[in-house]
Amino acid sequence: MALLETRNLSKSFGGLQAIDKVSLKVEPNTVHGLIGPNGSGKSTFFNLLTGVYQPDEGSQISFNGIDITSSPAHTIAELGLARTFQLLRLYGELSVLDNVMVGYHPHTKYGPLAPLINGAEVRRQDKAVREEMEELLEFIGLAEHAEIPAAELSGGQRRLLALGRAIAMRPKMLLLDEPGAGLSPVNVDNLMSTIMTLKKRYNLTIIVVEHILKVVMSTCDTISVLDHGQKISEGTPEFVKGDSAVVEAYLGREMADEDIRAAMDA
Amino acid sequence: MVFLSRIADLIDALASRHRLLPWLIAYLMLLPLPFIMSTFFNSYLIDLANRSCLFILLAVGLNIVKGFCGQVTVGHIGLYAIGAVTSAVLSLEPGGFGGALGFGLPVWVSIPIAVLVTAFAGLIVGLPSVRLEGAYLALATLGLGESVRIFIAVTPALGSSTGLMMIPAPSIGSFVFDSFTSYYYLVMTAALVGIYFSFSILRSATGRAFQAIREDTIAASVNGINVIKYKLLAFVLSAIYAGLAGALFAHMPPGYLHHNNFTVIEMVTLLLMVVLGGIGNVWGGVIGAIVVTIAYDQTKDLVVYFMDRPIVIQPLVFGLSMVLLVLFMPRGIGGWFEGVLRNRRFIKRSEEKLGGTARNS
Repeated sequence: MALLETRNLSKSFGGLQAIDKVSLKVEPNTVHGLIGPNGSGKSTFFNLLTGVYQPDEGSQISFNGIDITSSPAHTIAELGLARTFQLLRLYGELSVLDNVMVGYHPHTKYGPLAPLINGAEVRRQDKAVREEMEELLEFIGLAEHAEIPAAELSGGQRRLLALGRAIAMRPKMLLLDEPGAGLSPVNVDNLMSTIMTLKKRYNLTIIVVEHILKVVMSTCDTISVLDHGQKISEGTPEFVKGDSAVVEAYLGREMADEDIRAAMDA
Repeated sequence: MVFLSRIADLIDALASRHRLLPWLIAYLMLLPLPFIMSTFFNSYLIDLANRSCLFILLAVGLNIVKGFCGQVTVGHIGLYAIGAVTSAVLSLEPGGFGGALGFGLPVWVSIPIAVLVTAFAGLIVGLPSVRLEGAYLALATLGLGESVRIFIAVTPALGSSTGLMMIPAPSIGSFVFDSFTSYYYLVMTAALVGIYFSFSILRSATGRAFQAIREDTIAASVNGINVIKYKLLAFVLSAIYAGLAGALFAHMPPGYLHHNNFTVIEMVTLLLMVVLGGIGNVWGGVIGAIVVTIAYDQTKDLVVYFMDRPIVIQPLVFGLSMVLLVLFMPRGIGGWFEGVLRNRRFIKRSEEKLGGTARNS
């Protein structure tokens, strides 16, 4: 059974059809790539999946067999769907450790009023969570910076922290919105290998939006291509690479075939 | 600066023995304050200390919703008024002066009821936060807070323009908290317990959820935080502080309440405390409350003469200091001190790594 399935997922903003009847299936334990030119609706698609936007009538999203079409964002998060943001959206003034501890929030076992009623229990549980989160920071290589505010990290470290915060949610599925944006090619390779290690370690299913086609082609099991809010192609990296509809969407009709290959491999 | 961080180190050392040890020591150190004041200065200072404690409760409470959770509310003084008037009216004897309401309940019953009523009012003040942000939320809460004061000012049953008089003082057995000194122990204890619980909230998943909402609401919701629930919770928690402060204010000697205690000026003063102390910083709020209460009191009679006419310049002084603070010290005393502490800790850790070689350089 597919872990995530959308049927006729649509979203319009006024007259603009940002996502147009997209149906998609993602199988467990796979890496699914989502590519498309700028403005093709990739980020909107993520926002719909995670409840940041509400989809239009007639859409349907199910995750792990549960209908989440009109669920609020926090409920979807509790079901095990985590994401990162293109612009990261870290909690800048909070320490690195606190950032990942916020990520752990869905698994907090005490109620919001517990600190007033049962402080001992709060301290006991928080201590265990802190140790676990310190271990996670160790794993992604940020343990040294646990105490400093997230805003003071370097660009690459911030991307790692955004990833760590999503992993701290113990998700079943992870949506990555351009994880490699702004990184040098070497750093992108390192980040992708970290992501693949995390995938194995935590048994994750991943959907990744990425502009760097090389990364997508080498890591994804299946790829969907969006253009103007519509899904224009889907299949293995090899199939998508050769699909004329994709080539057209990216480069226009006139472009010669060899140039396209070169662009894809770059 | 060095002195302050020494104190911080000392507190850390004490806390490592037992978590509550610094609190106990602070409490014991505060106990003889009224005697020191009345012996060496004058007993008016005790009244000032009492009012400081009430404003500490208010500032610490406001810090929860504004500092931790980032919701700009300007209606807090209205909640303070609700707490004060509710407890006063519930405890007054029926048939008081000027048609004031009275239910004759014991003070120890009226205070908890007032706190509950204020908590509920806090929920209502918080409702606009579901849809509004920033300046719009500030306007909505300002309207709610000010309407509370106006409602009190025009309702004879709640004191209207004459105010509520002869509000009974709390008592335990035959001991009555009707002097500045005896009341000091009541409000000081309340303030210290309030600060303690504020820290408890901050250092829990609840506090982290509040701060996440402050930093980035969308990221917080995607991290599984029910944003609406936590925003409203922050408003209710801060209302509990305001309600308690208000109720304690009502029964404080001389047991008199007037709606002039709850104007926008008071609200601005309260905001100044939180900003001066450093938004989001608990100790900053406490320091801000003490400094501003004293400054407010000392500048009350500050008058300059312009063409032989007296002009009260206190509002000017306060407004100006607010502007200067936001410009030059946006994170307040607390934010500055936190930076100092963090740098020290960083240096310490680097020194340990280098085996003490950095110490001499």
